[in-house]
Amino acid sequence: MEQNTVLDVRDCAVVLDGQTLLSGVSFKVCKGEALAVIGPNGAGKTILFKALLGLVPFRGTIEWGEGLRIGYVPQKFPVDKTVPLTVREFFLLKAKRFWFPDETFLEHLSHELSLVGLSQEVLERPVGELSGGQLQRLLIGWAMVDHPEVMLFDEPTAGIDVGFEETVYHLLQRLQKERNTTILLISHELSIVYRYADQVLCLNREMLCHGKPHEVLHPQDLTRLFGEGGFYKHENSAHRH
Amino acid sequence: MDSPTLPSLIIACAIGIASGGIGAFVILKRMALVGDALSHVALPGIALALFYAIDPFWGVLIFLLGAAVIVWWLEGRTTLPGDALVGLLFTTSLAIGVLTIPNSEIIHSLFGEFSALSPIEFGVTTVLALAAAGAVIGLARQFLFRTTTPDLAQVHGLGRWFDLLLLSLFALIVSLGIKLVGTLLMGALTIIPASIAKNIAKSMKGYIFSSILLGGFISVTGLFIAQMFAFFPGPSIILFGVGLFLISLVLPRAMRT
Repeated sequence: MEQNTVLDVRDCAVVLDGQTLLSGVSFKVCKGEALAVIGPNGAGKTILFKALLGLVPFRGTIEWGEGLRIGYVPQKFPVDKTVPLTVREFFLLKAKRFWFPDETFLEHLSHELSLVGLSQEVLERPVGELSGGQLQRLLIGWAMVDHPEVMLFDEPTAGIDVGFEETVYHLLQRLQKERNTTILLISHELSIVYRYADQVLCLNREMLCHGKPHEVLHPQDLTRLFGEGGFYKHENSAHRH
Repeated sequence: MDSPTLPSLIIACAIGIASGGIGAFVILKRMALVGDALSHVALPGIALALFYAIDPFWGVLIFLLGAAVIVWWLEGRTTLPGDALVGLLFTTSLAIGVLTIPNSEIIHSLFGEFSALSPIEFGVTTVLALAAAGAVIGLARQFLFRTTTPDLAQVHGLGRWFDLLLLSLFALIVSLGIKLVGTLLMGALTIIPASIAKNIAKSMKGYIFSSILLGGFISVTGLFIAQMFAFFPGPSIILFGVGLFLISLVLPRAMRT
């Protein structure tokens, strides 16, 4: 693996219960790059992320750079909302000490929360009481808190208010610039892909294209990927599907 | 009125604390019924121990640890109807146990009894119960991570081995508690304190802490009730716990911890 390569995927396939969910996926991601994964619903985008994270069995090779910390922002908040867990305790899952946490960790936590637009007061609230938008912010803040070298976002703007979408993407850019974070992102927004991604990977159960967005995203490819009229390049990124 | 002896109160308190601690995670894992069924596996273990004239605790522990490994193995295989298999396996154990344990021992095995414990048995049981409770508290972050968000926990390097560790601690605590409340009701002693705690807690620390305290309180008070009315300790402890659970359902939100 080359020194600058963070992730090297070769001929990856996922077969679950005899069904092929994904096949023939190969790509590389370098340090500090942003890769967008696009494709219609059921194309295997989330499954690809799960394979990358070792959460589902796969064939082929998935090789991560040594000693990397990975932050993962799943599509939905993963904790059962009836569980009596406060926001602070959700973060403490990542701390060294759960019962008596370090002051420095808590100070750092407040800083990261402010980056995703959550106030300190939210720390004492049970996660089950937060709104959909707050939960999404929380998940992003949670994934960022230990400054991972790589972050995987599974549709980070699904179910959040329009104003926050821009904030999320500016945050992604800031992570890339300030922390040199490598970003892998599943998105439905083509405008986002054009504006923020260095590379794009088109999936529909198999890899249909891979490369720089302006070079590989031709109208005929998008039609092949999403069907006639199934996808639209927004000029105004505040627009939502 | 007879009072319970001090050693029996200490043991009841230690087992109650351990049961409350592990129960907090069994409830979060939504394994309350699997946990209950698991405790039935103890019966063939008791039968075997009686046959070889050894302390039933060891027979129970071996069988329960074996059952914990089976539950853990089944959890990772989605294509099998795991809950049905667990139910079948464990009710089979119950049937075998009832047929193989001598009639004179069966009621005590099912519902618990306090036989006079030797000082060594007393020491071993108390120390093991408190050590198990300490392990649960010490590993609370890891267990909580695995039970609430297994995928994220996996990404952060906490694999399925922690689930096996949790189930093994559960098996150990159930083995210790069987003398107190019996095989039929031991599962309930792990479930009830945590269920009450979930109704009254606003935070995770409050939930785990309340579950531990309630476990100790319910066991000790239940033992007093049993002595007072000459009941079996198991049903007295469980019914007292269920009474507290009903009260917790109507407790106003302002009183939550």
